[in-house]
Amino acid sequence: MRILVVEDERELAGLLNGALERAGFAVDGATSCASALDYLRVATYDVAVLDLGLPDGDGMSLLRHLRKDGSALPVLILTARDAPEDRVLGLNAGADDYLVKPFHMPELVARLRALLRRPNAALGVTLTLGNLLLDTSTRQVQVDGVDVSLSVRETSMLELLLRQQGTVVTRAVMEQRLYSFDVQLGSNALEVLVHRLRRRLQDVGATVGIHTLRGVGYLLSEAR
Amino acid sequence: MRWSRRRLIQPRAAGWSLSVRLAWRLSLFVVVAMLLSAGAVAWRTVATVHDLDDAALQQQVRVVADNLPPASADDAPLKLPADVVAPFRASDADNVFMVYGQTGRLLATSDGPTAADAAPFLPTPLHEGLFRVPAVTGDQQGMVGYVLPAGNRWVVVLQGREQADVLADSLMEHFLFGAVWILLPLGCAMVVVSLVTLRRGLRPLTDASAAAASVGPSHPGLRLPVADLPREVTPLVLAVNAALARLEQTIEAQRVFMAEAAHGLRTPLAVLTARLDSLGDIPEVEGLRRDADRMTRLVGQLLRMARLESLPLDVTEPVDLRVVAVEAITDLAPLGLLHGVNLALLGAEGRVPARGNHAALVLAVTNLIENAIGYAPSESVVEVELTAPGQIAVMDRGPGVAPEHRDRILRPFERGPAARAGGAGLGLAIVAQIAAAHGGTLMMEPRPGGGSCFVLQLSSAARAFGDGARTA
Repeated sequence: MRILVVEDERELAGLLNGALERAGFAVDGATSCASALDYLRVATYDVAVLDLGLPDGDGMSLLRHLRKDGSALPVLILTARDAPEDRVLGLNAGADDYLVKPFHMPELVARLRALLRRPNAALGVTLTLGNLLLDTSTRQVQVDGVDVSLSVRETSMLELLLRQQGTVVTRAVMEQRLYSFDVQLGSNALEVLVHRLRRRLQDVGATVGIHTLRGVGYLLSEAR
Repeated sequence: MRWSRRRLIQPRAAGWSLSVRLAWRLSLFVVVAMLLSAGAVAWRTVATVHDLDDAALQQQVRVVADNLPPASADDAPLKLPADVVAPFRASDADNVFMVYGQTGRLLATSDGPTAADAAPFLPTPLHEGLFRVPAVTGDQQGMVGYVLPAGNRWVVVLQGREQADVLADSLMEHFLFGAVWILLPLGCAMVVVSLVTLRRGLRPLTDASAAAASVGPSHPGLRLPVADLPREVTPLVLAVNAALARLEQTIEAQRVFMAEAAHGLRTPLAVLTARLDSLGDIPEVEGLRRDADRMTRLVGQLLRMARLESLPLDVTEPVDLRVVAVEAITDLAPLGLLHGVNLALLGAEGRVPARGNHAALVLAVTNLIENAIGYAPSESVVEVELTAPGQIAVMDRGPGVAPEHRDRILRPFERGPAARAGGAGLGLAIVAQIAAAHGGTLMMEPRPGGGSCFVLQLSSAARAFGDGARTA
């Protein structure tokens, strides 16, 4: 996976590039808008990390320029600005994610990997957590390498939870993603589905847990 | 420097109305002008009629004098020609002549009783000229007379004023009626034209007011339109625009400063954090990482606090308090899990509309939940409840807050005695600040069954919007 890091703070850029290389990325480092455009012209990247305050301009205008040219390159903004309006501005300008400095390297790597996992970035991804594995192309679920049979809807729910593991999937998102318009949704349809999936995972000894956040949604995490 | 639209819009302006005042004054002016001009014309007419009467009177005196028979030595009664006497007699005492001798003896008259009544009012001594006889003579209007010397005798003619005054009265009546028909529509037209001119002239002010109402933290660059404004109010609008420009400059300077401060403080922290992360999992580094994280939290909260204090917050957006709560809970669920604390949202499903600043409200609820997680015992649930319109409550089963600490913990850098290590003591102060920016309050109550309950209450205006939207 080739990544472009646009960051003008040399020390931070050095540490960032080193960490990303250790995480398995092929890293190119640019320190200005102009050099970033040069890199983008000659090479194809899978993802970019973009600082906003650059010496020769604002990273935001670089991003807008990219999006106007029709580039679908996933971009993660890395910035010291954390005012809510800055975040909204960044996401509106076409950023895929927004991370405020200072940040922990593992989080940055995780977020970059999440960007790469997005549907348009790659197909047929294997999602894992603990001893659980889901192949999104074959729809096969395994626990400790042993196949587990789940219903289509249970598999879809598990995929949704696995894709956002460690974070909350709201009920609204689940209802939207799991049910088509013509399904009359009972008030406790989700609860029943989660209950079945949870029991099934328990039965086969999966080391993951589905946490219920009453009134909000569900969160999948590794059992402690 | 907090802006709320409530203060910018006056739904119904108090004070006096220019249109009403103009209409009143013009109407009053028209009525007075009508009365004055009617009075002046009537007065002039009566004076003219009197002059004409006086001329007729003198003519009558002369006719009598010209037809006087020659004087007799002993002032004997005179006999005037019948054609002179007849018209006087026929006038039914409206016109009376008298002839006086040198000694003041009445020599001849057309009407004895009237002459006797009028005698006391004759000028003494007799001399040529007009004189008046008041109404005592039986003639209700009083009479006017003229004295003319004729040789050694005096000729006096009296005439009732009745004709002149009746004429004046009817003239006045006619004139007033005529004038009302002309002047009244004219006056009305004048009032209408003035009001239309006024309204047209002030219409740009309505546009300016609408523009002023939308000036706020989210649109600080907005200016009031000056085009088509009457010259009289342009200075006011220009002055307001200049004030807005100064305000915008101040806000912009603050914004730039806050961004610079954030960048300046966070970049070294980012380098430090990255360097520590690059060292891998060494036990000594774990402590340093915690220190750096704590520093990061402190800097973040200080910046947030400073931003809230120095930059205006737009609290007029429509927000859904349910979405606010869901976002905050979603953000903190992983942290809760780490502490073995579960989160839950109670209250009815569906939208809970209000007015406020979405991002700030999410931050406030996030801080409340974070605070609650810090005090909640393991395996307990921190509950968020949309209790009433414009109200979000965050409840925990922690040790609660002693009454003597309740005011203190809302102040910056003040922390409760049970506070966990690593906090900066700014979380609740930020919540209080955000509540105040929304015209509301942050309240703290002990929770039945143990623990504490923090209630973020928005202003009544935000609530009112919520109520209206919900019943609509």
